[in-house]
Amino acid sequence: MAQIFHHSANIAMRVSIVGAGLLTAGLIAAGVGISRSPWNTKVGIPKDQPVPFSHEHHAVELGVDCRYCHTNVEKAAWVQLPPTQTCYTCHSQIWTNSPLLEPVRTSYSEKLPIKGGWNQLNAVPDFVYFNHSIHVNRGVNCNTCHGPIQKEMLAYKGKAFFMSWCLNCHRNPENFVNPGGAKHVFSLYEKYQTDVPLTPEESTIANGNDYQRNKAELARGEQTLKEYKVQTKQLTDCSVCHH
Amino acid sequence: MDINPKRPLDARTFRAKLEGQSGKQYWRSLEELADTPEFREFLFDEVPQHTRSFDIQGMDRRRFLTLAGASLALAGLSGCRWLPAKKVVPAAEQSEDRVISIANIYATSVIEHGLATGVWVTSNEGRPTRIEGNPEHPASLGSNSSTVQATLLDLYDPDRSQTVSNLGSISNWPAFLETMRSALAETKDGTGLRILTETVTSPTLTHQIKALLAKYPGAKWHQYEPCGRDNVVNGAKAAFGQPVNTLYDFSKADRILSLDADFLLSMPGHIRYSRDFAVKRRVRSEEISAEQPKKLEMSRFYMVESCPSITGTMADHRLPLRASQVEALARAVAGALGVDAGAAALPAGVPQPWFDAMIADLKTANGASIVLTGDHQPPAVHVLCHAINAALGNVGKTVNYTDPVESQPVDQLASLRQLVDDHKIDGAVKILLILGGNPVYNAPVDLEFGHLLDTTRLTAHLSMHEDETSARCQWHLPEAHALEAWSDARAYDGTLSIVQPLIAPLYEGAHSTLELVSALTGPMPNSYDLVYDYWTAQKPAPDFEKWWQKSLHDGVIKNSAFPTKAFPLNPAAAKATVTPAIDDKGLELLLLPDPTVRDGRFANNGWMQELPKPLTKLTWDNAALMSQATAEKLGLAPSIGGLTVADEKVVEFVIGGRKLKIPVLALPGHPDDAVTIHLGYGRTHVGKIGTGTGFNGYLLCTTAAPYFAGGMKATNTGDTYPLAHTRSHHSMEGRDILMEGTLAEFLLHPEFAKTEATTTPEIPVDDKQIEPAESGKGKRLSLYDAQDHEYKTDENAFAYSWGLSIDNNVCIGCNACVTACQNENNIPIVGKDQVQRGREMHWIRIDRYYRGPISNPHTFFEPVTCMHCENAPCEPVCPVAATVHSMEGLNQMVYNRCVGTRYCSNNCPYKVRRFNFYKYTAGQPDPDKLNGNNDSLVLQLLSNPDVTVRGRGVMEKCSYCVQRINHARTTAKKEGRAIKDGEVVTACQQSCPTQAIVFGDIADKTTLVSKLKALPTDYTMLGELNTRPRTSYLARLRNPNPNIEADVKNGPDTPVVE
Repeated sequence: MAQIFHHSANIAMRVSIVGAGLLTAGLIAAGVGISRSPWNTKVGIPKDQPVPFSHEHHAVELGVDCRYCHTNVEKAAWVQLPPTQTCYTCHSQIWTNSPLLEPVRTSYSEKLPIKGGWNQLNAVPDFVYFNHSIHVNRGVNCNTCHGPIQKEMLAYKGKAFFMSWCLNCHRNPENFVNPGGAKHVFSLYEKYQTDVPLTPEESTIANGNDYQRNKAELARGEQTLKEYKVQTKQLTDCSVCHH
Repeated sequence: MDINPKRPLDARTFRAKLEGQSGKQYWRSLEELADTPEFREFLFDEVPQHTRSFDIQGMDRRRFLTLAGASLALAGLSGCRWLPAKKVVPAAEQSEDRVISIANIYATSVIEHGLATGVWVTSNEGRPTRIEGNPEHPASLGSNSSTVQATLLDLYDPDRSQTVSNLGSISNWPAFLETMRSALAETKDGTGLRILTETVTSPTLTHQIKALLAKYPGAKWHQYEPCGRDNVVNGAKAAFGQPVNTLYDFSKADRILSLDADFLLSMPGHIRYSRDFAVKRRVRSEEISAEQPKKLEMSRFYMVESCPSITGTMADHRLPLRASQVEALARAVAGALGVDAGAAALPAGVPQPWFDAMIADLKTANGASIVLTGDHQPPAVHVLCHAINAALGNVGKTVNYTDPVESQPVDQLASLRQLVDDHKIDGAVKILLILGGNPVYNAPVDLEFGHLLDTTRLTAHLSMHEDETSARCQWHLPEAHALEAWSDARAYDGTLSIVQPLIAPLYEGAHSTLELVSALTGPMPNSYDLVYDYWTAQKPAPDFEKWWQKSLHDGVIKNSAFPTKAFPLNPAAAKATVTPAIDDKGLELLLLPDPTVRDGRFANNGWMQELPKPLTKLTWDNAALMSQATAEKLGLAPSIGGLTVADEKVVEFVIGGRKLKIPVLALPGHPDDAVTIHLGYGRTHVGKIGTGTGFNGYLLCTTAAPYFAGGMKATNTGDTYPLAHTRSHHSMEGRDILMEGTLAEFLLHPEFAKTEATTTPEIPVDDKQIEPAESGKGKRLSLYDAQDHEYKTDENAFAYSWGLSIDNNVCIGCNACVTACQNENNIPIVGKDQVQRGREMHWIRIDRYYRGPISNPHTFFEPVTCMHCENAPCEPVCPVAATVHSMEGLNQMVYNRCVGTRYCSNNCPYKVRRFNFYKYTAGQPDPDKLNGNNDSLVLQLLSNPDVTVRGRGVMEKCSYCVQRINHARTTAKKEGRAIKDGEVVTACQQSCPTQAIVFGDIADKTTLVSKLKALPTDYTMLGELNTRPRTSYLARLRNPNPNIEADVKNGPDTPVVE
């Protein structure tokens, strides 16, 4: 009986086995790549908003404190987006005829929210309970999670908010906490606005990049944790964020 | 599971079981007591009856693999989803004190039967999401009842009526008011206008009604509420010549005799009474706190009752007695105490020695006793109780009298009868305005109230639902919920509070009674103006505005309780007031408000429908309750049937020509030859939840005998009806899990609860399995590996070990904690069908145990939460680590990791885990019935934003209210301090009227919970398994009279009547 397959079929088989392996690996890599790409995570992609609000103009050029609009960031879980009233503290006097501010004026005169609402940039799923106030009170800078927000003309998402990224800090808080709590957080922006030179750590963070502390800095971080009485192991309990 | 529904359970089976036993044996249901093969089989099913919904046994291999593969693929895919794009919509103007994510708490009052209970309502972003007790209010003292909490669900009920309707078509308020005003103008002086309200204590509403009556002197005001307090009013009138409000101080009562008074669940002030009652029941071998000093005494409580109630379960001596026999006993008690009450023989069923010992005991109390009777007992019994309390010297000490709290205390039944009679005689009723209430459904049937409505020229009904009465009235007017309108009310002791709304009416058309009454004489007002103007006119304080703000802030008007007064007792009244004997042939019928849906007002409230009734553990239905002996005598012995679906025999009861078909349920401890039917069911017009549940007991209720009557006959119809009960759910197979003893036993052996079964066994020191002692672990024998939990050490105050202590000795089984948990943790209702399958979702359940003869057993409650075992059996079996331990000792459930294998639930010895077989939060599997379809977005407003809403296929369980722990931790951290003792209060703890539940840090030995756990009566459930539960119990104690119960160790204390 003649052989069914020609001798060359051996090669074809070997190639296909290796090829299948490579294809699988490629597909997985592609999947991971897609899932981590800005196309999926939306990191760095500004969203259209009803009013083209510029953080750079307000926070840096005009020197408005973060807390002027985000009033409860030190007190509450949810950081406040300002009511129209807040816009009107200034815009009742300046740029009163700007067509860009039309939605603000309509909202204020009709006492209704800005039409269409703001498109949310940063969100965690409903089963995650994130509290801004405790992070700010532990000296974690806004930029650590929100990227170079003070430099953004149109705001965009600064970090992808993967759970592993959350855990990176919850496992190694000594790399992120700062003494002085909220005071520390907002002093960075005062320095930034007044062109006081920033430390390498501060400038890295302010540019929206991750900073790895050196040994001495980590030791200081450990000391800060002790002062804050942070139970580091407790930070990774599931129910800290999921309940 | 093949069940033979035909096998009857009879007394012989039980007697054999009970006689054969030695020592204490506890049972939860007749099935368990009989210990039939069916029951044993039932126990093996973790969630019984799943085979009914999915027949896996008849499936071939190929189909099984197909389904398994599909499930796997779908499970994987369903885990992937995009985060939806969300909008953030800040308000144009926002008040300073409203911060999103920070809840505001307001003090207000919930009104039940006209009486206020002070509450704190939590508002999240303007949505009321939680009702808790107001510590400053005398009727609450910070605690709560399940019905008070359930009023919150009523606010969001999707079935609430939303518009004015006239003869079934949509109309509006101006049209109604115009019709009304022109009809009123025609009458000139209001002749023919009748206003029917429920009980009114509100000064502002009274003022408005009086103003209306002044303008229209021909009009009349009637009041009616079913299960009302007519007997109390009439009894007081007979005894004192005027209506009088009686207040009891249980915190001073050493001896209590309740003649059929369910004062822990049904009487006005019952939340406060529960708290006070617990003070005298608590036994402490150490001083725990200022409120709980060292105390080795207990009050002694005698209970005579016509239907087993939670109050009866707390009794040291309990006697079942038919309602009609109570008066004879009361007369005998009065006679024995020297009251001239006329001759009375002791009713059959009350043993003479029992009676004598009780009388002697009451006499020893020396003015520190209470004798009281229930609202359904006739006026004569109330007169006798007044006389007895006077004879015992209790008046002014434990029993106090004040002016009545009702604005117009009337005999409401007489008031209603007058309304009907006036119309019958000369058609006097031209305009009938019904403000709240539902008389077509709940007025005695012989009044034919519906007929009155049909023949009255103009009828209008203000109510929250389009109910039976609305259907017969020309106009239906939507009523504003108590959290939507201003009002005021008095509490059981007369304390006034302002009722402030938390939200504008959800439906624009809704108005309150107050607004409607005022609108009859003027323009439609704002309820705030009415209440504010009334109080401004009263000028209660020189600085009115400050007084007003303070009253609103506190939720109570300071010093407004009525002062105690002395009322002269008519000495001849006790002898002169006699109730005519009832027909003693046939069965005796007793009609009582239901323990959960009450008089029917909570019939459309899913929380109340699914709340297992404290003793029958029945949900979604009522039944005719009778003793096992009576059931057997009538040939109605309950069949063994399904153990979750009990197909009970449907019986037709006939009394006075009126008929009702209703299934029969044998209830241990029920008096013989009597039948109790709970009211509030069988409603026809109420909403998706309530319509068609249960059987309408009001059909047997007459003006002659609104509460009980004799001469009822029963016929077996041969039909059966499935009842959904939870009495056998989550059974732990007769293990020794309840510890109970007498005070005498406790004094002899304080650690009697620490038995082999409740204690983790130690292994011999030379055993090889032992770990080095210095590791602090593994010193005890364990089925499980000693887990590496890093618990708090003394030097670190910022690491906590959470634990819970439940005091079974003061748990009255009232279910307040169950509703509190349901509210706090977004727990869905699942519907009757799912309860039948054992799938109810309550995170805390109250197990009810019996011991002793079925004719009159001792009854005990034991609330069961997740134990948060240190060696949790659920954790090692989870394939995806969805249930893991926290550093603080919590057994955490991670919903977003759970894939629904249910291994954890199978491995849980306490059966506290609950599985979402459907997307219950969306109303599955029956959205039409369960109100949860996606249209009813209004129900989503109720959700607690701090707790994840669970989806299908996810396991859940008690979390020790971890959201509250996290909130306290964050707050404390921000303030740079440790969490204080008492700062974390779980929802169940907060609501508990007797403060039986205490939560806190067990690593800190100075906390309340640590001190309680150090008491000798502390025990852990199934401690022998070495699961090391963080929830532990304090043993139940009874304080029997040694002259009645001679041998405290063996057997039942009352004769078996069979």
